[in-house]
Amino acid sequence: MDTTDRKDSVAKIKEAHRLLKRYEYTPQKIQRGYTNKTLYINISDNTIKSKDVPEEIKDKFTGGKGLGLWYLWNSVTKDTKWDDPENEIIISPGPVGGITQYPGAGKSLVVSLSPTTGSVMDSNVGGHFGPLMKFSGWDALEIQGKAKEDIIIYIDGNKGIVEIYEVPIGPVNSHILAEEVTEFFAESEEEKRNISVISAGEAAEHTLFGVLNFSFYDRRKKVQRLKQAGRGGIGTVFRNKKIKAIAVKYNGVKGDSNNPADIDTIRKLGLKLHKEIKEHDKDQCRMREIGTAHLVEIMDDYDLLPVHNFKYGSHEEAYKIDSKVLAKKVVQGSPDGCWHGCSMSCAKAVQDYELKTGPYKGHKVVVDGPEYETVAGVGSNCGIFDPDYIIECNFYCDTYGIDTISFGTTMAFLMECYENNILNKEITGGIELNFGNKDAAMEVLHQMAKGTGFGKIAGLGVRRIKNLLIEKYGADPKFLNDIGMEVKGLEYSQYVSKESLAQQGGYALANKGPQHDEAWLIFMDMVNNQIPTFEDKAEALHYFPIFRTWFGLNGLCKLPWNDIEPPDNHLTDEPAKVPEHVENYVQLFNSVTGKNIDKEEMILQSERVYNFQRVFNLKMGFGTREHDIPPYRSMGPVTEEEYLSRQERYDKQLKELVGVNPEKMSTAEKIEALREYKYKQYDKLVDAVYKRRGWNKNGIPTVELMKKLGMDFPEVIKLIEEHSSE
Amino acid sequence: MIRVNQRDMDFREGMTVKNLLEDLKYSFPNLIVRINGEYIPRESYEKTVIKDNDDISIIHPIAGG
Amino acid sequence: MKFLQKDETLCIQCHACESTCAQAFFKSDDRTKSSIKIFDDPGERNEIINVCNQCGECISICPELAIYRAKNGVVMIDKKKCVGCLMCVGFCPTLSMRIHKDFLEPFKCIACGQCAKQCPTKAIEIKHID
Ligand code: SF4
Ligand code: SF4
Ligand code: SF4
Repeated sequence: MDTTDRKDSVAKIKEAHRLLKRYEYTPQKIQRGYTNKTLYINISDNTIKSKDVPEEIKDKFTGGKGLGLWYLWNSVTKDTKWDDPENEIIISPGPVGGITQYPGAGKSLVVSLSPTTGSVMDSNVGGHFGPLMKFSGWDALEIQGKAKEDIIIYIDGNKGIVEIYEVPIGPVNSHILAEEVTEFFAESEEEKRNISVISAGEAAEHTLFGVLNFSFYDRRKKVQRLKQAGRGGIGTVFRNKKIKAIAVKYNGVKGDSNNPADIDTIRKLGLKLHKEIKEHDKDQCRMREIGTAHLVEIMDDYDLLPVHNFKYGSHEEAYKIDSKVLAKKVVQGSPDGCWHGCSMSCAKAVQDYELKTGPYKGHKVVVDGPEYETVAGVGSNCGIFDPDYIIECNFYCDTYGIDTISFGTTMAFLMECYENNILNKEITGGIELNFGNKDAAMEVLHQMAKGTGFGKIAGLGVRRIKNLLIEKYGADPKFLNDIGMEVKGLEYSQYVSKESLAQQGGYALANKGPQHDEAWLIFMDMVNNQIPTFEDKAEALHYFPIFRTWFGLNGLCKLPWNDIEPPDNHLTDEPAKVPEHVENYVQLFNSVTGKNIDKEEMILQSERVYNFQRVFNLKMGFGTREHDIPPYRSMGPVTEEEYLSRQERYDKQLKELVGVNPEKMSTAEKIEALREYKYKQYDKLVDAVYKRRGWNKNGIPTVELMKKLGMDFPEVIKLIEEHSSE
Repeated sequence: MIRVNQRDMDFREGMTVKNLLEDLKYSFPNLIVRINGEYIPRESYEKTVIKDNDDISIIHPIAGG
Repeated sequence: MKFLQKDETLCIQCHACESTCAQAFFKSDDRTKSSIKIFDDPGERNEIINVCNQCGECISICPELAIYRAKNGVVMIDKKKCVGCLMCVGFCPTLSMRIHKDFLEPFKCIACGQCAKQCPTKAIEIKHID
């Protein structure tokens, strides 16, 4: 869209919009990373109020995701569904979030009940919204209720104004909406950089895996760039509430806007990491050059890149979509960070990309990404090795507001169903969903946006499609449950975990469902062979998920923890933990809050929230052992072709691990024997992990643990007791 | 026979650390290689020759994707 | 382009330039507020005089577009736009961007030449090149 069109469109919106509510407040000054106030908005009756954040709650939940979980816990009952007005969307950056000197310190954490899992979901996202919201006086934004017509919520952090507008007309898709909303609230060109917008898109209305796009203004390219709170369908909740956009404006970000206790230490730590990244990133992960997409060829080499719905871990055409190819597509020489001071700058952009399909065909657009997860999900996993398709699909997923990971895993599943005649043209409405058919996949994506045709089914996500195919079309439940890559109702992210028992647990035990942000142990386990026993694996599955939870309590990004490493990291006792960087985080927290935690207390902060989230799952009717079981596709070969593709490896496992002689067995028998062995191993792993975490055999945290952690709220204890006596 | 990360592997006369990494397709950029406990810096992969019965550890020091 | 050229062989490490710079820029006697730095010990980098050469690398590092080349060729920081992220400090190839705990924003040599006037040996001099 060119500028005159946009001006017209904005003018129309200005005409049509209607102020529903205006609330004035005196912005709280931030004290050591906290404003100690939460903005509560109920969009059913347009109540807006300020809530205190008590010290006790900060001590127990720290901030970010912790605060979000606490507010949601208090708003929903066990019967609340994602589309009930009681469900909330809570956004909070955490105390460290908003400092400008240390890389990766501008994340927002979003919490809500998920449409796909029915339980509590959290998602971590860049963009400037969280920090600008905090500088505007709010530790968290809590939105409840449902609007009657589409609304836009606006926070002006300098004037101290919150407004709710009804905006019945205008675009919904993010790449246009984010620009228009910015234009709408910016009083000058210069102000645009101080605005961040949250939006979703048309497909978020019609599918269950909608995302939220958080924007940041890219001063060089003069566009709003989009970062996604991707997992678990929070964008779907957003559109279901009839929220079109939430915008914040705050002029005057400075190095001390987060008002930390000891800015000097923060500056020293930040500067040291900037230098480390400058010196070593080019030989380590090349984040500044190509971002997370550097993993494509690495995962392919280690047989971990999902191909054809996670059947295989590599493909001869993977080189067509690897980072060398993608590096030529994205703008070079100006790496972008998703918040001030992120010199890791993994955000990439393809500029002047001319769209080939869909409603914006022929438009030249800026596309964010593509990140590893997107390349693997919409590309290799669907058997599509075309970089332009990946970029186009990335663009439409973003602007329509859907999760590239769930889209990829769902599409790959549908394709396998199609190739096995479980789906056919009658059901797909004539679309030939073979692996590799990029036009077909794109068509389904456009249908998802409109909520038409087969897109309606595809947008339900793997779990519901499985049920539909079983119930309505008589499909074989065993096969579908084996190949449907979901746990708890959430689709898998894009790593093949077949050869790593620890990672099978990392995925299936994760609180919100199989996302690798809790644990990624494949190298430690499968390649390095560092955690051979069940106890070793259990220790890793205790430490890493708990440690990594901490980023989400503080508004931090995980990447600068271990996608850059100090040159002498190999000399440390536990290089996988990157001890120097862990120490940085301890100091950062202390320098912001003026507290005095150590690494042990850091782990405790996370353990509190992690276990609380587990009990939250219990409250919503999940959170027990039966919900922690992975589909067999994530553990071993389901089909004969899959077995035969790595026959040597699997035969060897039968001989050495299972203790049977594969020579006299049919492939079907071999598959069965391996499967039986792998599930037994998995069971033992789960026992060991539960024990290490202080949970009972059914995966429920014990009363003693919750007491020890100080998380023994009466409702928590009651829930645990009810479920433990069953 | 050599041991790599506590697993047996065939030995080839004259193989260097670089060859071994190529055979294994260990393309991760940040490796910690030790032969019989001794740290081998990246610059030496090409010139370090592996001997029969060497005990080699190749650690990918990363627990995050 | 205007820049401060150095000849380390002439430097007698008297630190007069540092005092002048801190005074000219910040009206301060605190030499750590100087944009030019003189090392008594050349150290690992084997350097006695460290000062910005106006190469402009930092212009492309700053996402805020707070760093620009002025008409006379000197690289300048617009403090109003700067958010104090210190990326330019970490990424300067010669480590000539300065910070001080009294200021949120970094600062650097603007080739004003005040220091050169005080240098007794002409170890530093303002040069113009195209
Ligand atoms: S590493 Fe990437 S995702 Fe993380 S904060 Fe930096 S730019 Fe954002
Ligand atoms: S501060 Fe450094 S990067 Fe910037 S112009 Fe001077 S020498 Fe170059
Ligand atoms: S410290 Fe200021 S001038 Fe330097 S890169 Fe950051 S915003 Fe730009």
